[in-house]
Amino acid sequence: MTDSSQGKPNDITFTDVTRTFVRGDGQEVTAVDGVSAHIREGEFVCLVGPSGCGKTTLLQMVSGLLPTSGGAITVGAKQVTGPGPDRGVVFQKDSVFPWFRVIDNVEYGMKRRGVPAAERRDIANRYLELVSLSHVARAWPKELSGGMLKRVAIATVFANGSDVLLLDEPFAALDYVTKHQLHDVLLDLWRSTDAPRRTILFVTHDVDESLLLADRIIVIRDGRLVDDIAIDATRPRDVDTLTRPDMMTVKHKLLAHLGLEHGSRRSAAS
Amino acid sequence: MASDTSMIDGTTAVLPSRPRAADQRGVTVWATLRSFRIDIFGAIGLVLLVVFWWGLTFVVPRSSLPSPLNVFRRIADDFVVADMLSYYGLPETGLMGSMAYTAANVLIAVVVGGLIGTVLGLFAARVPVARAISDPILNTVGTIPILVMAPFFLIWFGTGRWSAVLLVTVYVLVILYLFAQRAAENLDPVYESSARTFGAGTGDILRDILIPGTLPQVLGGIRIALAGAWGLEAIAELLGAQQGIGKIIEVLAGSLDIEGIFAALLVLGIVAVIADWIAGALVRYVTRWSVSARVGTT
Repeated sequence: MTDSSQGKPNDITFTDVTRTFVRGDGQEVTAVDGVSAHIREGEFVCLVGPSGCGKTTLLQMVSGLLPTSGGAITVGAKQVTGPGPDRGVVFQKDSVFPWFRVIDNVEYGMKRRGVPAAERRDIANRYLELVSLSHVARAWPKELSGGMLKRVAIATVFANGSDVLLLDEPFAALDYVTKHQLHDVLLDLWRSTDAPRRTILFVTHDVDESLLLADRIIVIRDGRLVDDIAIDATRPRDVDTLTRPDMMTVKHKLLAHLGLEHGSRRSAAS
Repeated sequence: MASDTSMIDGTTAVLPSRPRAADQRGVTVWATLRSFRIDIFGAIGLVLLVVFWWGLTFVVPRSSLPSPLNVFRRIADDFVVADMLSYYGLPETGLMGSMAYTAANVLIAVVVGGLIGTVLGLFAARVPVARAISDPILNTVGTIPILVMAPFFLIWFGTGRWSAVLLVTVYVLVILYLFAQRAAENLDPVYESSARTFGAGTGDILRDILIPGTLPQVLGGIRIALAGAWGLEAIAELLGAQQGIGKIIEVLAGSLDIEGIFAALLVLGIVAVIADWIAGALVRYVTRWSVSARVGTT
């Protein structure tokens, strides 16, 4: 294992991370089982795996909302002990506060960090413009559609300047078109950042989504890291990118891991 | 311009086409009435009730049912000072003064009981130990019919203002405890999680998440408690008090003055309805961000 003090500000190191839960019937369940990995600074990594495989648990432990049962997670040079503004989270559920107007939501993280009012308003307005929501800055969240609410959530974590972004199946509940629009919003924000590029950990069970977004796909099954695939395709990617032979090979591999490929041993082993 | 669907400016209705000028006026009047929450059918119902009451007075003897006109006249006569009641040594005989006394008691009880109940309820929902202690106590108090406590309060605190206020306070407190507790439990934990990832501490979460997030249901509970508080305060005064609208009713009942009782009840009812209307308007404004237009539903 590498010495964590050598880590760059935005990288993530998993060292033998384990998480166990005690079920209602008293039985102990291992959700995450000895995961070790290193996510480089500025890398866009998708965590893929079947439902209940432990990928969301892993993400929650990076966010600090859930403690580890064993092992350690290090972000930059600091070991994760609890939630903090250096790691922004976009949840699957709508987490935009309904009782604050859109602009106040985007400012919330900066307000908690003590950014002066005028400065944080400027930053919030800039990010609202980047996600094309300037016209609803003063609206209540209930007046926005599901896709717009996700844009607000994304603008909020970017505006807060977190080094690491954790997205937990953020677009799972959205329709096909909205989902693809939001992929572009997310990638544009991530790529346009002038500062060192943010590290993104993106949980999904959508194989195509991971192929469109990721630099690297980590496959989790039964709480274990079972595969770690680098995606060698330039951006922007489109439908044609996904049909390239090398991408198809990765797709077959991923489908096999999800148990969806018949006679999958052949492709998975290649 | 109003014909496009706009989710943003708050209008949720889709106007199919621009209304013609003649229709426009009717629509505007209707919209104005709606904005003040004046229900035309409610008003018609009220008028029908008075007409029905007036009709009944031709069948029922006057000693049992006074006519509406006489009751209205009686309200006007007794509004500031009621001569008939000056023999009973009441500190206040007018309907207005008595009603003000009753209303002040209700207001104190709703504010104090509402605050304590909400704080206890939110606390119980988030701190299991606190809940283990407060749940049995408040659930027991909640099970006892509140009026059963009235004699004890009268013995302990006398017939002054405070035994009635205390009775209503307990009633409001128990309701708000349950409403606030349930509201905190129903609040999606994702908001607290999200706030924590922004570095919010316990105080921030209380101020930014828990209080605003539970406000619609808590205020709904306040409205329900307020509606019940009027009757309870009046009964508490009826059972033993120096003044108030309930005391007036008690004295008048002693002299079989049906007309006077009707006048006092009508004043109480009108004030209660107006108070609910004001409370409703306030609640709607404060929780205008809330998805559910109706509040108080659980």
